[in-house]
Amino acid sequence: MTNNISAIVVLLAMFCAATTIDAQSMFRGDPMHSGTYAGPAPRQFHRVKWKFPTGDRVMSSPVFKDNVIYFGGDDGNVYALDAATGRQLWKRATNGPAPATPAIANDTVYIGSYDGKFYALNAKTGALKWKFTTDGERRFEAKGVHGWQPKNQTIADPFDVFLSSPVATNGTVYFGSGDGNVYALDSATGDLRWKFKTGDVVHASPAFADGVLFFGSWDSYFYAVDAATGKEKWRFHGGEDPMIHNQVGFQSSPAVVNGTVYTGCRDSNLYALDAASGKEKWRFFNDLSWVITSPAVADGKVFFATSDSSLYHVVDANSGKSIIRQQGEAYMFSSPAVAADVVFIGVLNGTLEARDAKTGELLWDYQVEKSMQNNAWVLTGDRKFNEPFLFHSNWREAPLLANDQQIRIGGIYSSPLVVNGVVYFGSADGFVYAVE
Amino acid sequence: MIAVGARARLIVTLIIGAALPCLAEDAISGRWEGTAHIPDDELNIIVDLTQENGGWVGSIIIPGLGLKGVPLTDIRVQPPDVNFAVKGALGIQLNLRIDANNKLVGNFEQGGNRAPASLQKTGPPQVEYPLRNTPVAKEIEGEWKGDYIMLGYPRHVLIKFANHPDGATADFVIVGRKQNVLPVDLVTQEGDLVTVDSHETGFTFEGRLRDGKLTGAIHQGAIETPLVLVRAK
Repeated sequence: MTNNISAIVVLLAMFCAATTIDAQSMFRGDPMHSGTYAGPAPRQFHRVKWKFPTGDRVMSSPVFKDNVIYFGGDDGNVYALDAATGRQLWKRATNGPAPATPAIANDTVYIGSYDGKFYALNAKTGALKWKFTTDGERRFEAKGVHGWQPKNQTIADPFDVFLSSPVATNGTVYFGSGDGNVYALDSATGDLRWKFKTGDVVHASPAFADGVLFFGSWDSYFYAVDAATGKEKWRFHGGEDPMIHNQVGFQSSPAVVNGTVYTGCRDSNLYALDAASGKEKWRFFNDLSWVITSPAVADGKVFFATSDSSLYHVVDANSGKSIIRQQGEAYMFSSPAVAADVVFIGVLNGTLEARDAKTGELLWDYQVEKSMQNNAWVLTGDRKFNEPFLFHSNWREAPLLANDQQIRIGGIYSSPLVVNGVVYFGSADGFVYAVE
Repeated sequence: MIAVGARARLIVTLIIGAALPCLAEDAISGRWEGTAHIPDDELNIIVDLTQENGGWVGSIIIPGLGLKGVPLTDIRVQPPDVNFAVKGALGIQLNLRIDANNKLVGNFEQGGNRAPASLQKTGPPQVEYPLRNTPVAKEIEGEWKGDYIMLGYPRHVLIKFANHPDGATADFVIVGRKQNVLPVDLVTQEGDLVTVDSHETGFTFEGRLRDGKLTGAIHQGAIETPLVLVRAK
């Protein structure tokens, strides 16, 4: 009897471990993008377990499979590291920055690059299995974007920092592209199954639930399409901003939980949409501040943060009513990761924050060295962005330079990954960190 | 003889002693150029300081921050100490002291950060004076209201002009989801063009009186939106 119970416990443990591993092998943990991670989470900061240097900033979010950490680098490489030591197992070059989060399935690493190609690599060796050529990558762009001068000149948006992260499920890999398409490829061969054309850049990551693919585009629409055929089921119209193109576009990736789609939008809303019909259930307005973060959904609550207003929010998943509202130090593009009773989120001032999931209270934070150096006074003494030092010129190049300065202090755009009590994240300082 | 000599020395000393602060203060008046040594950068600073009507006035130029001829505030000159500030969003404080080499050395503070700064005199002062409020015409006085759309959201504007002996003032309120009372730096009327500027917030209204309406635009940074103000009832 005791032996039988032991065997059941062992089997259950193996099942849980397998579930945990599968739930950490793509952006936001799983195809629904719940942003929740099984296992323990550190309520206190003890140490940097390791940090791994790359050749450029790391906007990609690490994923985990079989004790290996995978991520893309803006230096153009896709990396595989030993999760325990941070030692490099392999790297594979693409021909452009790779600020996307890879998906791991069938011993294959799937990731797109700014070279306009989508790669399938052997997860053990990094060897190329196949690559697919899209119609080409580009950033969101518009005339006089964000009110920058001259208003009649087209400017690429420097805050369009991510590429679409793929979701791999049921033998198909799905991803969005700067060419406006969402692609569905045979995950074994790379053959095109279908593509769905939107009106502008798709850099959000699609979420998959119940045979439907959900994603937003910079054309101001959010779409639900049949994952098998690519046929549109419904579309939802977000805000538009024909004047300065600031309050438009879905850069946030959706989470689909219990028949509801949750997504942020640059129109300053967090939306809850009925997954079957696309009908709006509720919206949470953020006073014109973007919602770039992809929401996490756990225990009937939605966790997200804002950019300019730098607010950390927890709202009721059914009603959208505010539960927690905490003022952060700086803009947040990183998406919250919920593990046990802790929420982890990166901040663009170069800090990783750990907050109590129930109260929102800051438990601990870790500031990367570049941020502490605070070169050129990008930050104020209390770690906010020093806006008068950053945005002081009327020339259109000035905001681009300001954005570059913000990046150079090691901003954390990457979304944290939590595995067995260790938090993994990338930084714009060029390192991937493992802290515990 | 000795007593007379000692008295004479005392008098000379007293005269020189009394004159020293004035001489030292004269030494402060001028154009000062130098740098603040912030990490990984050097910020060029040009300060003009002079005495006027028994007080100190001054302005500052910082090319790296887009500042040109911005007035100094809270100027305190008590040789060898020289302190002044730049108010507004930037919020700069300079705490300096004249050293043995006639340089102003000390700290440049902004946003909770502090860096060493050093300035040396390069010539006579070239203080820039801020634009002053002008009176507005009688028919402009009083309260005006109007509406516009910003980023898809409606905004209601209230501007109330009042004349005073030293120029007009204006209350400038924008109501969206919240009521925002904007600090006004400048109110002018040049011909029929009326301007209300809130430099700190980046909002400016410019309009001309046409058929009993103030017809113009509201600017928020580079964004310009047409706006017609009518008399508030």
